[in-house]
Amino acid sequence: MAPLRRLVVDVLKPHEPPTLTFTQQIAETESVAGVNATLIELDKEVQNVKFTIEGESIDYDVIEEIIEDAGGTIHSVDQVVCGEYIVEDSPTPQD
Amino acid sequence: MGAESDPNSLLDRLGMDKIGPIARRYFVSNGFDGALTGVGVTVGAYLTGVPDGFAVIKIGLGGAVGLTTSGVWSVWEIERAEMRAELHDIEDAMLTDLSETQIEREKTSTQVTNALMSGLGPLFGLVLPLTPFLFEDTALSLLQATILSVAVAVGVLFVFGAYMASISRQRWYIAGIRMGLAGIVVAIISIFLPG
Repeated sequence: MAPLRRLVVDVLKPHEPPTLTFTQQIAETESVAGVNATLIELDKEVQNVKFTIEGESIDYDVIEEIIEDAGGTIHSVDQVVCGEYIVEDSPTPQD
Repeated sequence: MGAESDPNSLLDRLGMDKIGPIARRYFVSNGFDGALTGVGVTVGAYLTGVPDGFAVIKIGLGGAVGLTTSGVWSVWEIERAEMRAELHDIEDAMLTDLSETQIEREKTSTQVTNALMSGLGPLFGLVLPLTPFLFEDTALSLLQATILSVAVAVGVLFVFGAYMASISRQRWYIAGIRMGLAGIVVAIISIFLPG
């Protein structure tokens, strides 16, 4: 199966653990080379964070397990990049 | 910055940085109860004419067991209820079950810390003032042991005050004196109590 090189997920999480700890936990996973966490929405009890995860061969199940163990849920998988190298989204005339 | 110059390094090593403000409040509040109970017990025991220091220690330890158990048990139940309420609020917002997640484990750990600190406070506050009675009959008379015990309790209260001042940027000696004064007030009231 083609290796997963980039994954963008929309996560709903409680305020605790804080985004910093949450992101570090994902980044410490063996298959992950780097993570970007961007706050999308802040509510009284929860927050919506977009995680952009990159690596040579990301293990999705491990990522999902870490997010769920930290109390978060993956709302949607917004971008998936697989293959030999990272292919960026190309603009089309309709855009 | 080197570890030697970091003022928090000792607290970090002792794990004191992990103790939250609620655990601190329980510790000081229940420790205050313990120290003042200690003053009341020792002065009262002396005035009622206990035969020796060992009898005062036995009475004091009985009080310490009661206060420590009360501290641990009540806070365990209070924190358990609070933890469940907080978890339910988050679960309602998340629309998911959070049992056996990191958030539940952390809240349980906080519950344990708070209950332990709540029990340690009165144990520390009550047992320490009883130590002079160990030397009654060898180095001290019963009156001297009682006076020294009140002084130790006032000292414990002073330390509680100074500690709270150190985290709230107040003058430590003023806060210490304010807390210590309570011990002297209880001793005076105990002396003038009818009977």
